[in-house]
Amino acid sequence: MAEKIVIKGLTKEFVTKDRIVTAVKDVDLTINEGEFVCIVGPSGCGKTTLLRILADLETETRGEIRITHSDPSKPLNSMVFQEQSIFPWMNVRKNIGFGLRCRRVGKKIIDQTVDQYIQMIGLQKFADAYPYQLSGGMKQRVSVARAFANDPEILLMDEPFAALDEQNKIMLQEELLKIWEAERKTVVFITHSIDEALILADRVIIMTSHPGTFKMSVDVDLPRPRRIAELRSDPHFNRLFTELWGVLREEVYKAKASEGLTVSDDEFHDDHSRTLADESRLVL
Amino acid sequence: MAEKEPAVTQASGEDLAARAVADGAGDYGDLARTSDRMPRKRRDSGTRWGGLLGFLSPAVVLILWEIAVPLGLVDGRFFPPPHAIAGTFWKLTLDGTLFSDVWVSLVRIVLGFLAGAIPGLIVGLSMGLFRPVRWLLRPVVSATYPIPKLALMPLIILIFGFGETQKVITIALGTFFMVLINTMAGVLNLDKIYLDVAKNYGANRRDFYTRIALPGAMPLIFTGLELGMGMALLLIVAAEMTGAVSGIGYRIWAAQAVFKTKEMFVAFIMISLLGYLFAEGLSSLQRRVIPWKQL
Repeated sequence: MAEKIVIKGLTKEFVTKDRIVTAVKDVDLTINEGEFVCIVGPSGCGKTTLLRILADLETETRGEIRITHSDPSKPLNSMVFQEQSIFPWMNVRKNIGFGLRCRRVGKKIIDQTVDQYIQMIGLQKFADAYPYQLSGGMKQRVSVARAFANDPEILLMDEPFAALDEQNKIMLQEELLKIWEAERKTVVFITHSIDEALILADRVIIMTSHPGTFKMSVDVDLPRPRRIAELRSDPHFNRLFTELWGVLREEVYKAKASEGLTVSDDEFHDDHSRTLADESRLVL
Repeated sequence: MAEKEPAVTQASGEDLAARAVADGAGDYGDLARTSDRMPRKRRDSGTRWGGLLGFLSPAVVLILWEIAVPLGLVDGRFFPPPHAIAGTFWKLTLDGTLFSDVWVSLVRIVLGFLAGAIPGLIVGLSMGLFRPVRWLLRPVVSATYPIPKLALMPLIILIFGFGETQKVITIALGTFFMVLINTMAGVLNLDKIYLDVAKNYGANRRDFYTRIALPGAMPLIFTGLELGMGMALLLIVAAEMTGAVSGIGYRIWAAQAVFKTKEMFVAFIMISLLGYLFAEGLSSLQRRVIPWKQL
């Protein structure tokens, strides 16, 4: 298989007022065309930062990233964000077609593609609804559909189902499996759930906590198409789960131990994080 | 697939409304916050009692006023009784003065409003979207915004003379700042994630204006338009009090000179009516332009 993403020695440092924080350190990673890779790590380990660098929303401090853009008529990557990220001022239809409209694709093709994905995520009745009329699960479906409809070469997913309740999460995972198994795009999926990673991925990568580096990589040789209910009772699935949890556990404890000393990587993306510090200084 | 969805459809309305009220951006937060009256409106119009009571209070005031004048409790020279004002209203309507005054003022207001609101909108969006533009223009805006536009009127008269331009410019200045500041606050209030999404999905500069900033800031833009409209009504009267021969403001001034207080009150009513009609027009426009906001 062709190499799609090659990362070598990637390091990202954030400069705060009084120090430099290393969010991601010396990451090496090669992802093949059509591979579904999940990156698992304790919160604050720099997973989101890594993904944002891949999405070109953040620039690396050191290191090298090579992404093969094989079809210039397609966008290189589309991201599914963790939080609510569909536009409140666009209805479901407009949200799903957003990327296509930005690329000035013909109206007919946009309509067709949007219809196809609305059907796929089962929101036919809500095609003209605005986000405030949708449940959390529906919104996240729209968010996933928006990324798929854009037909990128690489899908970047940042804990897209983390905020959902268990039932919705399972349903969306199943839908994602179905769509992905039909289209076989290259996917980089961030999660903190081993369970989710094993259900979805071809390969699971475990990240260490602060600074974020890669600890180990495990191939998930479970057959496809996968059914979540069957996976849960599969002894091999459970063996993999136990093995990965053994590794991750250590990292979670380490992350816990250093909590308060470190800053979670989310905070770097928030312009207002420094104001709190400023205020506390004023009080003193 | 659709029937699998649990019935939790109406969950997330409040957070939108709440977000609009939440932290006003930067220095102008207090102006921006006015937009929280939208949900309140809905609660008011719900009850039939509300309508009845709302009709009752002005009626009582009018009746008391009518009685108080012959009793000598209120000086009829300054506060002519409602029926006398109504008579003058009718007379001015028949001879056409009322219509021509209102028309002249209306044209000035609309021209001035557009001349202020459109540049205000464009500059506000640009300042909100692009940090260099904000850095460049913010000091100028901050320095000129607090100057009362009335204080500038003598200068405007020196430059433009006593013509239509002077009145239109005065109104435009007042509207410009209101719309600019609220539009900028509206863009700055947008969750940064929407800008990330737009960037990641290949939005160009035009998309940022038309698909992200403009619709996203629309609730606060309307707040700016409403405040700008109030400013326009205030300034039109002031502008017409100096060097005008027509318009509502002129009518008030002219009536004062010859002690025709009834005509003054007719002019007050017309201003109030204009204000009401503008507010209604804006809010019906708002419902059409912002269908995505739960009211």
